[in-house]
Amino acid sequence: MDKLPNESRRSFLKNSAALTALTFSPTVLIKAGAHDEKIASLFEKVPLQLSINGVTHKLTVEPRVTLLDLLREQLGLTGTKKGCDHGQCGACTVHVDGRGINSCLSLAIMNNGKKITTIEGLANGNNLHPMQEAFIKHDGFQCGYCTPGQIMSAVACVREGHANNKAEIREFMSGNICRCGAYPNIIDAITEVKNGGQSL
Amino acid sequence: MEKELSITESYFVDDRVDGIDKVTGKATYAAEHKLPDMAYAVFVCSTITKGSIKNMLLSKARKAPGVLDIIYYGNCPVVPGHNPYAKDPNKKGYEWRGLKVFANNLVHSNGQPIAMVIADTLERAVHASSLVKAEYVQEVFDIDFEKLKQDDNKLIKLNEYKRGTADVYKSAAIHVEGEFTVPYETHNPMEMHATIAVWDGDDKLTVYDKTQGPKSTQSELAANFGLDPKNVRVIAEFIGGAFGSGLRSWPNVPAACIAARILKRPVKLVLTREQMFTIVGYRPYAWQKIGISASADGKLTGITHHAVSNTSRYENFSEGIVNASQFMYTCPNVNTSYKILPLDINTPTWMRGPGPATGCVALECALDELSYKLNIDPIELRLINHTETHPVSELPWSSKFLKECYQLGKEKIGWHNRPTVPGSLKENGMLAGYGMAVGVFGAGRGQASVKGLLKDNGTLVLQSAVSDMGPGTSTAMVKIGAGLMGLPENKVEFELGDSDLPPGPTQGGSGSTSAVGAAITDVCGELINILKELAIANAPSFAGLKPDAVAYDHGELYVIDDRAKRISFTDVMQLAKKPLIEVDKTSGRLSAEARKYAMNSFSVHFVKLHVNPVTGVIQLKHIVSTADAGKIIAYNPARSQMVGGAVGGVGMALTESTLIDPRYGRYINSNFADYHVPVHADIPEIDVLFADKPDLIINPMGSKGIGEIAIVGVAPAIANAIYNATGKRIRELPITADNLM
Amino acid sequence: MINFEYSKAKSAKDAMEARTKNPAAQFIAGGTNLVDLMKRGVTAPEQLIDITALPLKQISASANGITIGALALNSDVAENELVKTKFSLLAQALHAGASAQLRNMATVGGNIMQRTRCSYFYDMEMPCNKRTAGSGCGAAEGYNRMHAIFGASDSCIAVHPSDMCVALAALDATVHISGIKNERKISFTDFHRLPGNTPELDNHLQPGELINSIYIPNNHFNKNHYLKIRDRASYAFALVSVAVALEVKDQVIKSARLAMGGVAHKPWRLTEAEQFLAGKQITEKLFQEAAELSLQHAKTYQHNGFKIKLGKAAIFEALTNANT
Repeated sequence: MDKLPNESRRSFLKNSAALTALTFSPTVLIKAGAHDEKIASLFEKVPLQLSINGVTHKLTVEPRVTLLDLLREQLGLTGTKKGCDHGQCGACTVHVDGRGINSCLSLAIMNNGKKITTIEGLANGNNLHPMQEAFIKHDGFQCGYCTPGQIMSAVACVREGHANNKAEIREFMSGNICRCGAYPNIIDAITEVKNGGQSL
Repeated sequence: MEKELSITESYFVDDRVDGIDKVTGKATYAAEHKLPDMAYAVFVCSTITKGSIKNMLLSKARKAPGVLDIIYYGNCPVVPGHNPYAKDPNKKGYEWRGLKVFANNLVHSNGQPIAMVIADTLERAVHASSLVKAEYVQEVFDIDFEKLKQDDNKLIKLNEYKRGTADVYKSAAIHVEGEFTVPYETHNPMEMHATIAVWDGDDKLTVYDKTQGPKSTQSELAANFGLDPKNVRVIAEFIGGAFGSGLRSWPNVPAACIAARILKRPVKLVLTREQMFTIVGYRPYAWQKIGISASADGKLTGITHHAVSNTSRYENFSEGIVNASQFMYTCPNVNTSYKILPLDINTPTWMRGPGPATGCVALECALDELSYKLNIDPIELRLINHTETHPVSELPWSSKFLKECYQLGKEKIGWHNRPTVPGSLKENGMLAGYGMAVGVFGAGRGQASVKGLLKDNGTLVLQSAVSDMGPGTSTAMVKIGAGLMGLPENKVEFELGDSDLPPGPTQGGSGSTSAVGAAITDVCGELINILKELAIANAPSFAGLKPDAVAYDHGELYVIDDRAKRISFTDVMQLAKKPLIEVDKTSGRLSAEARKYAMNSFSVHFVKLHVNPVTGVIQLKHIVSTADAGKIIAYNPARSQMVGGAVGGVGMALTESTLIDPRYGRYINSNFADYHVPVHADIPEIDVLFADKPDLIINPMGSKGIGEIAIVGVAPAIANAIYNATGKRIRELPITADNLM
Repeated sequence: MINFEYSKAKSAKDAMEARTKNPAAQFIAGGTNLVDLMKRGVTAPEQLIDITALPLKQISASANGITIGALALNSDVAENELVKTKFSLLAQALHAGASAQLRNMATVGGNIMQRTRCSYFYDMEMPCNKRTAGSGCGAAEGYNRMHAIFGASDSCIAVHPSDMCVALAALDATVHISGIKNERKISFTDFHRLPGNTPELDNHLQPGELINSIYIPNNHFNKNHYLKIRDRASYAFALVSVAVALEVKDQVIKSARLAMGGVAHKPWRLTEAEQFLAGKQITEKLFQEAAELSLQHAKTYQHNGFKIKLGKAAIFEALTNANT
């Protein structure tokens, strides 16, 4: 078994001399038992390597950190949005190894070694991705908050071959909620990119 | 002079000025500002519905790693606006509107913030917040609207209106009567409400907030914390939707400020989706009873409309639910009443189309029902009762192109295919139906200030402290400025979302374009005057001319009688050695002359849908939304607002309802999996058609508001189409398959 | 979410041993349900054992059927050519579930193991016997629009939320399970359990056991249809769903499989209706009678009474759609 976390965590816990140096809550740490382990595990970080938009990041994170919060709060990549934090809106959609996923339900550590593409990595320098251009042209957004997720899903929709007609696009894109109601414009944007035939 | 200032007729490419920021992820929303040493605050919310907190159990959370502080009523410093009587019980100072967060141990509603955990990382703050528990003294609560809606002991009577005789419909041969329910609906913008607060010393505060009104948030915070408004800066550059939830500051705004002050470091407080249901308002639950009668020729003889909607126990929130019934149609006898029911729940607030969005469900469905009784086409019935004079104020409308809207939509949807007998049209085995309904909302113009900065490189910067929650305000303002100055739109910039800019109105009630655009018109007029004077004083070919003899286009001034004599704005400024011309203008509210008119925007929505005759599943096939919103300034964003309103209306009609378990007062579906907002698959083709006729009485651009009429009338149009398809008249929203099997 | 120890298992044995050693550990693969439950505090494992490196992603055909690895992604299964052609009911059901993104994360094993979406289960402040034994059932007298009409008990009226499982139940699938000591198979319809007095148990998997794969036997069903009825057109859990697989020749049903979703604590096979349909000539009346028969033992609650009528309508519609 791969012990990605601190190899010696359990013994580390038993020899709690090191822990007492941490002054957060000595009273709790003195106590023995499962609860202490939980508290202790709060301090624990695990190494993680990700390629995000072509840049390799070597990080250490708590296992509970989601990919979304890692991007937004630790790496400053706030283009990926939090709309619900429970996989119910699609605002946090990113590509992992080329496939769209909800980054809010994905533990960052479980993406170790994977390639992540976020909205910030879609354009080629100053040249917008065709889907970004189509969203502008068709006014596929209003407030813009769901837009990065919509665009990431839209790219996947065309790339994965689910953009053959409007009904199919609508069904595929239904995991991305837009409260401003830009849906028809988004469908028009995707249709145009699909018909344009560019390789995405 | 006035005549010269007209916006270029041809639509230029209407790409949003902030489009690139939005499609690349560069647009920065409230929670996304990066500040050094930021701490994370998370609300702990009440788990009971009414009562008081006996004891807060904080020790576990305090010991959790990374916790910097936990703030609750027991240790929260006194905020002046939360305790206006503290210094002198007789002298009332500013009082914070709504829930005074952490001011005392009272619980007014389930999901009310009762404590705030601040930690060094988000994960730690979230986890520690789950460790905070409260011991309560519970009290009996009222939460069940359905049970109490007609309990006169509980209701607060607000407006009553009568013209002619009351309740005429009751004795009329041809009449309809029905009760309608619009449930709690939650705004649910995609961006959750968020505030970052930073103090510079004890008297200077900067706040990044999701607000529709940077200036109103600034003044609320200044008063609440006893600060000079000049020392409070509110930044709201990008707003991820709001639909009304950002029209006032909710407890998260002062809470973040309190935390940042105590910790002396920036604090970020972002609500969870669940908290979006219990902290930042919602469309109130409404019960309506409506009765309408007509003579056989279709002329309305009586309208009676009663409405009850809920409010909280600590604020009286009301909206104009019955107003449209008073003035939309010619009718000699109209009586309405409106009452509110205080419940142990947080305060509702304006949600897109507040008032008419609810009221028109009753009015427009009842009219539809009446049309079948009369055997008159529903559009015809409305035309028969069309009025050019506002029946309540008896003023003429400043503009009303409602008839044009009927015509536009009727053709586009293919109204001639509508079956006159409900349930009689089948397409591919599905029951097909058509419906329509009218929407209306007040129009007008508020006060706004705009600063214009014309630079000698030919660029114009316009500034106003408004915000843009999505309708495309910046785009429209750039278009107005560019059009008026004869400049290409890429030379014009609109700066907004910062309370340090000249005061602009709160974005709401479809009023931004009207107010700010009017101020921009004044700014541009003044800039042109200055340029002319500078040209006359400095350019030889303009010497000695009267300003009236000079006109302009494409960034140049020219002599009217000799068009070959031209000079660019840039050259004028350089000649005059003026690198910058700065103009501040405040455009006032409506003039006394303008107030001789009634002012409204109008919409007519048309829907075609299918209902599965076996399962009752509804599939929308086509929506056509038409609007009289005055002159359309920026076509794409305007069209998108209408499309978005239609989508919101689909939610009202078919999917949305915030559910509360009356036994506990807790929310059943406070998440996006169970609170169903429409998804892509719910939405058909939507066509938008504008009458596009200027209303120059309201403002010099001729525009009226769009945001509200976009949704008002959509839900009843859908309900009417469902009736047309199935013969089933469902008066309780949302209408789901199980109603139609 | 409380922090936890994370470890990545290299082999099934590794994973099962770790799980057996630590009763407070849980396996994680797609995480779409588990991470959500952890965020809500409904579950708080001390250790997560990441099983995504195990070699259980294969979809492979044998002479008699198809074996789908427990770690195959929902989207991969739905798009698999073999599944699309020979087990289209399964592909349809998968497409009806969740969203494209979630299907890219969720595994077949995780889909089977997902927990109910009952609001009372998710809200830590409300009673729920499934979450907190003995706390009561909030839904029984609460808001129960989504809840069970078959096989519920006084202690729990929750439903299993999966679409995929409804199809697997109809297709006579088998769950292949690894344990530390031995491997075993459970018929899919016996995998999930009814709530009874122990609603905390969703299924018959023992602690430490791991789902290896799903086996679906080849069949002769030439008419397949999955119908899902929900409160919006997509991305919502079923009010009711119906999986229909028919072997029809000359408008005579040789054999039939029917299962319902959104109606019970487990995918609900309609064996009585299957037997009734077998050997009969297809008529509208036949489908109506099958629908009637299917719902005759339903028991409804305050807010889900419509499910009887809707259930019948859905069965009739699904049978009709399958046959056209």
